[in-house]
Amino acid sequence: MTASVLATPEAAERRQSFVAQTAAMSQRAVLALWRQPAIVIPSLVFPLFFAALGASAFARAIELPGFPPVRSFLDFALAGTIVQGILFGSLTGATALATDIENGFFDRLLASPTSRLSILLGRLAGGMVYGAFQTAFFIAVLVPFGLVVEAGIVGIAVMLIGGVLTALAVGALMSAMAIRTGSSEAVQGSFPLLFILLFFSSAFFPRETMTGVYARFADLNPMSYLIEGFRDLTVDGLTASAVARTLLISAGLAVVTMAIALRSLRRKLRAR
Amino acid sequence: MSAADNPPPIVAEDLVRHFGSGDELVRAVDGVDLTVHPGEIFGFLGPNGAGKSTTVRMLTTLLRPTGGSARVAGFDVVRQADQVRRNIGVALQDAAIDPLMTGAELLRLQAVLYGLPRGEHRPKAGELLDRVGLTAAADRRVGTYSGGMRRRLDLALSLIHEPSVLFLDEPTTGLDPMSRIALWEEIRRLNDGGTTVLLTTQYLEEADQLADRVAIIDQGVIVRQGKPTELKNEVGSPTLFVAVDHDKLDAARHLLAEMGELRPTAEGRLGVGLGEGAGAVPSVVRRLDDAGIVVHHLELKEPSLDDVFAEATGYRLEGADT
Repeated sequence: MTASVLATPEAAERRQSFVAQTAAMSQRAVLALWRQPAIVIPSLVFPLFFAALGASAFARAIELPGFPPVRSFLDFALAGTIVQGILFGSLTGATALATDIENGFFDRLLASPTSRLSILLGRLAGGMVYGAFQTAFFIAVLVPFGLVVEAGIVGIAVMLIGGVLTALAVGALMSAMAIRTGSSEAVQGSFPLLFILLFFSSAFFPRETMTGVYARFADLNPMSYLIEGFRDLTVDGLTASAVARTLLISAGLAVVTMAIALRSLRRKLRAR
Repeated sequence: MSAADNPPPIVAEDLVRHFGSGDELVRAVDGVDLTVHPGEIFGFLGPNGAGKSTTVRMLTTLLRPTGGSARVAGFDVVRQADQVRRNIGVALQDAAIDPLMTGAELLRLQAVLYGLPRGEHRPKAGELLDRVGLTAAADRRVGTYSGGMRRRLDLALSLIHEPSVLFLDEPTTGLDPMSRIALWEEIRRLNDGGTTVLLTTQYLEEADQLADRVAIIDQGVIVRQGKPTELKNEVGSPTLFVAVDHDKLDAARHLLAEMGELRPTAEGRLGVGLGEGAGAVPSVVRRLDDAGIVVHHLELKEPSLDDVFAEATGYRLEGADT
């Protein structure tokens, strides 16, 4: 697309309707989450359950040799809680996308002049809104129990953006799966894989305390570095490296998974 | 729009769609030619799996043809798919409506997707809800709607941008008779307003009631096309249906074959075309009686689309009343 094409009134109109369509589709995605509390609540409760379990059962784990200095296990656990919640949450959005394909709502959209991209982006934007909500929710719930975010308000803002980008990254990957398989069961069936990815990272324990294959896997797992970004914001405060890791790793992952999702969408539309 | 007014709203030329390949090749649509004139209700009639839906999916840009071409609202369905989509309304039988949203929300979403100016979303949604009689249910989730209400909402959704061509894929399948008639009336009203309608159906009566012209499709090929009255006249004579004792079936069949052309009918019955019409009934009864064959049931029927269908395909549609 050249600049001259973009300058025509028709192109301007098209761009305007693209924005409106994406906004309307993301509104629908958020509405669907709001109206299915039974599906949404686990993605808010389970991560908190893990955090609570850790904070009581592993309270003294922070005294282990090699455990980085941290005020309480709860401060340490927040990062894992946020990323875990977002993994859960993105599954809901991708499942809804697969359900749309299964039951024909997707066809209804394709038969309309809706931008194909806005169908995908709307769904992902809904997930991003939810990712921000989850991040804020976990922090808000854990603060009364003694959570302290060293990086303060600015740090929390960085975490919110990181949460949004993480939701986009995971959501796009899961959406690619939804588009390829067109099966909500296949999407939900992939959850254990996500959980393994989380388990073989520094979500629940610091890499410093790991050994052998487990440590090597966690070292290779980008999830580790993303989680440590969130964690350093909580434990160490507003450092450049913590901000960079929180934002750049999530953004980098999002770029890669978006490319995968867009390719899946193009393929699906071509294969009609 | 004036350029798009002149050409026929729907033209298909040798439209082909195959699925799979090699031994698994399915010729779902195998060379369909179709012309629908402006302001017409065109009935696309055939049993399940005949190729109706596949044809409609190609005409509505959801499927790419394997061969041939089609123009809808004056635009090519492959090369100008976006223009086609802007000018058609589509209500597909197997495209679900989001059960979590309310009727009003779905209409407003549809208004955004079809690019209606912002100020028109609410009034247009309200007008359409009123039109299909869903105003009272406007703010209820679609998940709570009955089958008939969903179809009516589906129709309203397809009308949001006042399309000139409307595709209705089996709009009344699974509806109770009352809802069916209400929907027919709405389709007629739309058509009176100038909308061209292509509707697929497996109900002969529906095609007969609504359609100005019909095409009968069987195994991916159109086997008859024309006005219902013309098609019925082509079959010509009325059919006499006879039920006799099972062991006398063969004897009766021989007898009837001498009186006219045998026609397909339900199991345990016989059908014969009577060239001379009702006047031939007494002699048929007399011949059967003379042969000692007891007639349990006797019915004379003027040619119907059912007969046209049977004559064209060699079998009758399920649920046809003979």
